[in-house]
Formats: sequence, C-alpha cells, structure tokens
Amino acid sequence: MRIALVNGSPKFKNSASGNILNSLKLKLQDKNIIEEYSFRTTEISNDDLDHISKCNVIVFAFPLYVDGIPSHLLRCLYQMEKYLSSNINSEIYVYTIVNIGFYEGKQAAIAIEMMKNWAEKANVKWGQGIGIGGGGMMSMLDKSTDRQGPMKSVHNALTDAANSILSCKSSDEIYTSPGIPRIAYKIGGEMGWRQAAKKNGLKTEDLFIKK
Amino acid sequence: MKLLIHDLSKEDFNDLLGTIEGEIKIIDDNSTIHNCIGCFGCWIKKPGECVIADDYSNMGEYLSKCNELIIVSKCFYGGYSPFVKNIMDRSISYIHPYFEVRNNELHHRQRYENHFEMSVYFYGENISSKEKTTAEKLVKANALNLICDIKNLIFVKDINSIKELEGVTL
Repeated sequence: MRIALVNGSPKFKNSASGNILNSLKLKLQDKNIIEEYSFRTTEISNDDLDHISKCNVIVFAFPLYVDGIPSHLLRCLYQMEKYLSSNINSEIYVYTIVNIGFYEGKQAAIAIEMMKNWAEKANVKWGQGIGIGGGGMMSMLDKSTDRQGPMKSVHNALTDAANSILSCKSSDEIYTSPGIPRIAYKIGGEMGWRQAAKKNGLKTEDLFIKK
Repeated sequence: MKLLIHDLSKEDFNDLLGTIEGEIKIIDDNSTIHNCIGCFGCWIKKPGECVIADDYSNMGEYLSKCNELIIVSKCFYGGYSPFVKNIMDRSISYIHPYFEVRNNELHHRQRYENHFEMSVYFYGENISSKEKTTAEKLVKANALNLICDIKNLIFVKDINSIKELEGVTL
C-alpha cells in the first residue's frame, strides 16, 4: 500500500504536525511505501500531484488556524481537488489529523468537517479525522512510545488511526486533550509566552500592547 | 468604522459598492499577501502587529477600531476562500496569547475592549447543505474567538443577489 503523509504546517522544522506524522509513521507497517510531503507554500508541483494521486491513502496533518484550515493549505487543497476530481483513482482514502493550541481537541471539529466536504468535492473517500488538543506539547511526542504520560491519549488516537489506515476503512472521529489538568496547560502556556517574549527583549507588560 | 474583507473582482466589487453606507475600511486582494507562517511574532516580537512586511500587517489594529466586520467570501468547503482565510489567519494580533475559559473551553483573551458585530456573506453556485452547516458552525466559532456578535450570515448563489436582499445594507 502507498501512503502519502502530508505535513500542512507552514513551518520549516519542529512543527507539531511533523511530530505527529513521525509518530504515526512508526505505527504503520514496514511493508507499506510511505511518501512524505510538506505543503509549506501555496502551490503543489505537478510531480507531487501525480505521485499523491497514485497513493492508496493520503494523511493530512496540519495546525488549526482561526477555527479552520491554514490559508496556504487551503490553496493547495483547491489545486488537489481539481486534480483528483478528474482522476480515475477515486478509491483513495483520506485521513486528517488537526493539532490545536487550545486544550480541547474537539475545537478541531469544524476543520475536520471542512476536510470531509473537501473529500466529497475531490471525489475521494473519507477515512477518519483526529483532533488533538494541547498542540503546544507536541514536542514531547517524539519517537519514543510514551504510553502512560501526558501524551497517552495522542498515542492511543494515532494507534487507532494507523489501524484504520492499514485496513483502509472509515472510522469515527477522535478528539483528544493532553493528560494534564486544563489549568496546568493554561499556566504552562502563559509562562511559555512570557519566556518567549523575554527572549525577544520584551517585558511581560509588552504582551498587552495595543496599537 | 466598518471593516470589509472581500475576495471579489474589481468589477463585482464596484457593482456592490453602491450598497455600502458609512465610513469603511476595505481589505481586498492586491496579489501581494503572504501566508501566516505560525511564528507568533504578532504576540511575542511586535505585539499587536504581524511581523510579515506586506500590506496586511495591521489587521489586528483595524479590527480593534471597527464596529462592524463585513466578510464577503466565496464558500470553500464550508469556510472562507483562500484570500479571506489568509486575512483571518493574519488577524490574530487582535487577540492576546493568554487563555481564558469561555463556553467551558480554552480561548484566547481579548487584547482590546472593542466589541463589534460580524456579517458574513458566502457566495457560490454550488454550496451544498453540508457546507452551509459547516459554515454556520465556523462563523459561530469565529464570533466566540473574536468576542463579537453575529449580525448576518447569508448564503447567495451570486454576488449580485446581495444587492437584492431586503433589509440588508453593507
């Protein structure tokens, strides 16, 4: 089976989407051909479109931007829709993993619904959507298999997705939140913003600047 | 001030212009926009302003000064068109990086005290019922995150239909 993993983050490196796809990749069997793509810009090359259209499965991973799909990826998806809808291979299954900065993975539900609508227009089959909350913690999701810590729910969701992918079946959506209390995520996140601002020579009160 | 974000051609926009009343700031596509790169510079480098140097770096400030946000967008998969979504993505300097709980979910705090109304006009020949349902959820979610009220959410087949809507003035 040929599986395309599409990283829809605009970042060159260290993206949460990349961490998620690396973790998923380990859960897919070795006998499959895994092709990796990065859609950082607003256009896909014809070569990439051609290769992707010949895959059995496409897995998108991207960050939630303002309740939806990041605009650069939206442009790519439109290009893909036009290409795939005229493609004879309508047996492609599409899976989507959305990571979000908020605690609750459920807040990715609208973006997943948009991807379902896209799949219908692109004439491909819908596989499954996964919404992962606590995107700020995805750097913890490295190649280790932490099955007990705060990333447990993410590992479980990715294992479920891998099983669906390997059997090319449609499954219910899964939404996860990190395995720490919401208040701890809030406090940790806000501390992170203050530290990042300080590294840029700003003070905490500068975070509140109004234009 | 009204803030109008649209993805229309000049011809279509000029046709629509006659229906707009009052002071208005118009955001349209001059083909120079860059996409958000997820750097959060608008929160931690130059708070309140996007660090990407193009004509669209002050969206947060514009939102802070508007009393009505009007969006005219072709509907894509139950969401905005790529250009309009690009503008939304580049607008997060309007909010603050800190979190607060609203609707029993984490959302970002307000940077400004401003409160505005939002009107969204989706157009497109073949907007499916599923896409309409998604779009309704999207606009509600946007209103929750931007802390604004929804004034209008309207779907039309073509842009000229907006002019014919009774009781609607852009």
